[in-house]
Amino acid sequence: MKYDIVCAPSYSLIEMNLNEGESVIVEPGSMAWMDTTIKPKTEMKGGFFAGITRKFGGESFFLNTYTAEEGSGTIGIAPGYSGDIVVRELNNETLYMERGAYLCHVGNIETSATWEGFSGTFAEGMFGLRVSGTGLLFFGSYGDIQEVEVDGQYTVDNGYAVAWEQNLDYSIGRSGRSIRSFLFGDQLICRFHGHGKLWVQTRSPRNLAAWVHPFRRVKSKND
Amino acid sequence: MNVKIDTEGAFGSALVTLEAGEKFMSEAGAMYRASPNMEISVESRKKENDGMWGAFKTGVKAMFAGESFFISSYTPNDGQSGEVGLAPTHQGEVSSVKVGPEIWVCSGGSYLGSSGGVDLDTQYQGLAKGMFSKEGLVFVKASGEGDLLVNGFGRISSVDVSGGITIDNGHLIAFTEGLEYTISKAGGGWISSMMSGEGLVMKFNGNGKVLVQSHDPSRLGGVLGPLLPPREG
Repeated sequence: MKYDIVCAPSYSLIEMNLNEGESVIVEPGSMAWMDTTIKPKTEMKGGFFAGITRKFGGESFFLNTYTAEEGSGTIGIAPGYSGDIVVRELNNETLYMERGAYLCHVGNIETSATWEGFSGTFAEGMFGLRVSGTGLLFFGSYGDIQEVEVDGQYTVDNGYAVAWEQNLDYSIGRSGRSIRSFLFGDQLICRFHGHGKLWVQTRSPRNLAAWVHPFRRVKSKND
Repeated sequence: MNVKIDTEGAFGSALVTLEAGEKFMSEAGAMYRASPNMEISVESRKKENDGMWGAFKTGVKAMFAGESFFISSYTPNDGQSGEVGLAPTHQGEVSSVKVGPEIWVCSGGSYLGSSGGVDLDTQYQGLAKGMFSKEGLVFVKASGEGDLLVNGFGRISSVDVSGGITIDNGHLIAFTEGLEYTISKAGGGWISSMMSGEGLVMKFNGNGKVLVQSHDPSRLGGVLGPLLPPREG
């Protein structure tokens, strides 16, 4: 297996070359194009329960396995948003990520939902995604992705954390402590603790949507 | 203080490193990452010795400038250096310019952040200019000494102006003080000007520098808006 990530960070795409017999597991909808030598198979990876928990984690119930069956072949994989893609080699490790960040993997990796608690309701939802095992993992987000080496503590705006290593934990709070900060629409932020790598994105789809909102037509009284 | 601009093209951002005692300000909500020793607070846009009423007035002016009433400020609070990352909403580049050699005036939506030594004031553009220009009624004037960060939709180009330059309405980010502009029609006659699709342009006279953005965000908004279901009035 060989891969190349092209057009990063604006419109990153994975071009992956599979030898005969090799396969890649891809989030449904993320296959952009592929050679005819590659055959897709849709499965409920890990059984029904794993499918359900994945669904809670903002990913799909089913996962697609693409295998090069009649000789080698190339597959193009890209997420739905325009943005950066990060590759991470997992060696019996666990990563946590926000809903929707998972893209594809090669090897023996499992994805399942994690309960983020009610603190998560302010961020990306009450469930996050837990990815663990051994293999090559690809994840992405809207915007550029920057790697931060957390040594003790780090602050990230709510909704901008893409993924983090298992030794990191976070809590949600307000940036300021004063009453003034509460009254005047202060930011909700995630405070990460521990030691490990953290990936942050530089753009938020939610902010973009909020910007587009005023351009919508106003509903007339007759509608 | 060190300002590092990351990536060209769609997803520009700025990572600002502050030494103890230094301060940086940004549009409220632009912070996406920060070291834990960064004290983040909100303050209204006011000048020194301005009093409550002055703070209120500058705040109201800021709202007209398309900016939020408040700006966020960042200072390391433990005597060590710290970092804060700032990014805009849109896809596009971030640029840093020096305030001091020049005084910069930037359109309301283009202001991303500035260092503590930069004084921010809002400049009323006048009703006629404000009504017809897409840049809004009020501009942000940055004087004093330090760095000013601006964001653009798409590519940001810096143009040295000697004599004059014409910029399409909606593409202006910032210009140096000393340049004067008028809103005018693009072509010869009014009809040909409207037919050309360019409509109104900003005509600058004088010498200085201008930052322009390759794309006009209100045109994207104009394309997307009608495709979405109507909103409640």
